[in-house]
Amino acid sequence: MMNNVCPLVLLAAGTEAAIAEIRGGRGLRARLSGMGLCSEARVTIRSTNCGSVIVAVGDARYALSRGIAAKILVREVQEAA
Amino acid sequence: MTKTIRVALTGNPNVGKTTLFNALTGSRQHVGNWPGVTVEKKTGRVSHNGYDIEIVDLPGTYSLTAYSVDEIVARDFILKEKPDVVVQVVDATNLERNLYLTTQLAELGVPIVIALNMADAAEARGDTIDREKLSALLEIPVVRTVGTRGDGIGALLDAAIRVVKSSSHHERTVDYGSEVEAMITSLTDALAIDRSLSVQYPRRWLAVKLLEGDESVLTLVGEGPASARVQNLLSSIDAGEYEASMADKRYETIAAILLQVRSAGASEGASASDMLDRVITDRYLGIPIFLALMWGAFELTFAVGAPFATAIEVGTAWLAEFATSSIGPAWLGSLIGDGVISGVGAVLVFLPNIFILFLILALLEDSGYLARAAFIMDRPLHALGLPGKAFIPMLIGFGCNVPAIMASRSIEGERDRLISILVNPFMSCSARLPVYILFAGTFFGTRAGGVMFFLYVLGIVVAIVSAKLFRSTILKGESSPFIMEMPPYRIPTAMTSLLHMWSRGSLYLRKAGTIILLGALLVWVLASFPYGVEYGSEASLVGSIGHLVEPLVAPIGFDWKIAVALIFGFLAKEVVIGSLGVLYGTGEETLSATILADPGFSPAIALSLMVFVLLYTPCVAVVGVIKKETQSWKWTGFSVVYGLIVAWILAFVIGRLAPFFLGGA
Repeated sequence: MMNNVCPLVLLAAGTEAAIAEIRGGRGLRARLSGMGLCSEARVTIRSTNCGSVIVAVGDARYALSRGIAAKILVREVQEAA
Repeated sequence: MTKTIRVALTGNPNVGKTTLFNALTGSRQHVGNWPGVTVEKKTGRVSHNGYDIEIVDLPGTYSLTAYSVDEIVARDFILKEKPDVVVQVVDATNLERNLYLTTQLAELGVPIVIALNMADAAEARGDTIDREKLSALLEIPVVRTVGTRGDGIGALLDAAIRVVKSSSHHERTVDYGSEVEAMITSLTDALAIDRSLSVQYPRRWLAVKLLEGDESVLTLVGEGPASARVQNLLSSIDAGEYEASMADKRYETIAAILLQVRSAGASEGASASDMLDRVITDRYLGIPIFLALMWGAFELTFAVGAPFATAIEVGTAWLAEFATSSIGPAWLGSLIGDGVISGVGAVLVFLPNIFILFLILALLEDSGYLARAAFIMDRPLHALGLPGKAFIPMLIGFGCNVPAIMASRSIEGERDRLISILVNPFMSCSARLPVYILFAGTFFGTRAGGVMFFLYVLGIVVAIVSAKLFRSTILKGESSPFIMEMPPYRIPTAMTSLLHMWSRGSLYLRKAGTIILLGALLVWVLASFPYGVEYGSEASLVGSIGHLVEPLVAPIGFDWKIAVALIFGFLAKEVVIGSLGVLYGTGEETLSATILADPGFSPAIALSLMVFVLLYTPCVAVVGVIKKETQSWKWTGFSVVYGLIVAWILAFVIGRLAPFFLGGA
């Protein structure tokens, strides 16, 4: 269950993950919560660009700069084999 | 007897609020496919079943904790103006996140109606949503709408009226669990002694916001009598943990509701939008694709517009000549021929180019590419001290700097926003296009497209260098990190894009009939007096003004006529051309043939002039909007003076260097 936790920024395009923790100020966390990026939310990396990423949360797509992608810690979700 | 009720439209960014607003009120407010199109509240009216309904369209917001100026506009309206009903426009394809805002609105205790918008898109992919059950679970009326087709408008208004009439409304609020709820109760008790605050806002909402660390609520409470007790309570808990668990609870509550009301269709994998994003935002391909698109856009603007422009130019020259020679008395003929037709005509010539430019901008906005451009440019811009989001106002600035400066409101950091405002005038707006086309077309022939591209790039470079300069001197600090929603790509329909083009292009036409006409008439009057002087000669009033200013611009190589044109160009940049049209406006030659024959011009001087027009003091309208958005005469004055200095220096330097790289031109 508890897989290794790593920052979002390290994941490759196409990876699915669940958010474990957001290491940021309250402002950033509240902002991300409003967008649906809070703990346990399922995200999929859609594309990466030098550390900046586009993630999918449900049907929404968000672009996040590297600084933010580094603060979001995720657990990789293995597809049921 | 008609009753008036006030309805506020709120919701997440880019869910179609303005489209719905236009459908409700018959307005034609600007819509686009990117988050943050609406940055100011817009009001419209509609009568329905004997009610006079005022509808206020608010900027989009993800939550009631505001981070940027446009979100503050939305939040303050709901909190302070207390509309009779809040209609939350909800994107039916993204219910989880949209309902998060609903949970916050419900805590605020305002009467709510949900417009389940883009319902057709949700249905098309196989989602079915049980609206009645959703309505029952939330205790909020839910109406199905499709803003683009105007579906559900009547039902939405009916529901809004019903909610107002019923006066008692219950919305279900989230249960945050025993520990948090106990703290909320303690906080609401503590807040009871702050009477004035308790009258204005529900105490439970204040307590929740305090736990979430909402800055403005903390300040509100901090100023009141409950401050000490509240501080005491808040310091006893781990605020971060509370806040995180509250967000989780909200989403849990929403998920529990959705489980009962929605059966989702398939489509969860990578969509066509995602495939496109792989390419368009690729680390290597992204920037080349962007530059290629820009290059194509300018080629198109210039090449496709050119034949139309030439036709209009020949036509107006003929008309001016005809008016001057056949309308009597002679002064009236001169007024109409030299003043009105030559002045306004010189500007109208470029109408085809302007319309093409606006069409291209409309396509960028409607397709969803604009948000990607901001993402691609985030890294390079961040290194230079600007957030990537600032790139959207920059691109809009190619159309007009006024809405572009307004669009800076969606930038979160105050310094970031200020820098974005200050550098925006360097983005070459459509009013400057006529100046380039005339001079580049006249003096650079086949290389005109390249010269124009150089000017646009120069504007961007000056903007970026200035941003870096401001960031490292007067506005120090880190630029805020980039978070932006990427809207789905949409193929723009011909109809909407043409409508966008028309609504902006017609403003240009109106400008030609007002401020440009005024400028032309002013120059004509000054060129004709004192009575008896040769029209437009150095002895006329305009000649005196020109000679007064000439020493300032003579080092660059500008004569008094150019000086006059630049002074009046402050009204609007097209007036630079209009004034020259009036000053040179005799004879049957076209304006470009006349200036080509004037020894006062050369390719180098033409290039300096274009550079100067690109960079110098923005027009009156832009100065006005800078004052409004910065709330400071100091920054407004700074912007004007800085622009003048930069324009002078670069026009001088580029004019000196021109002979070397123009070579045998």
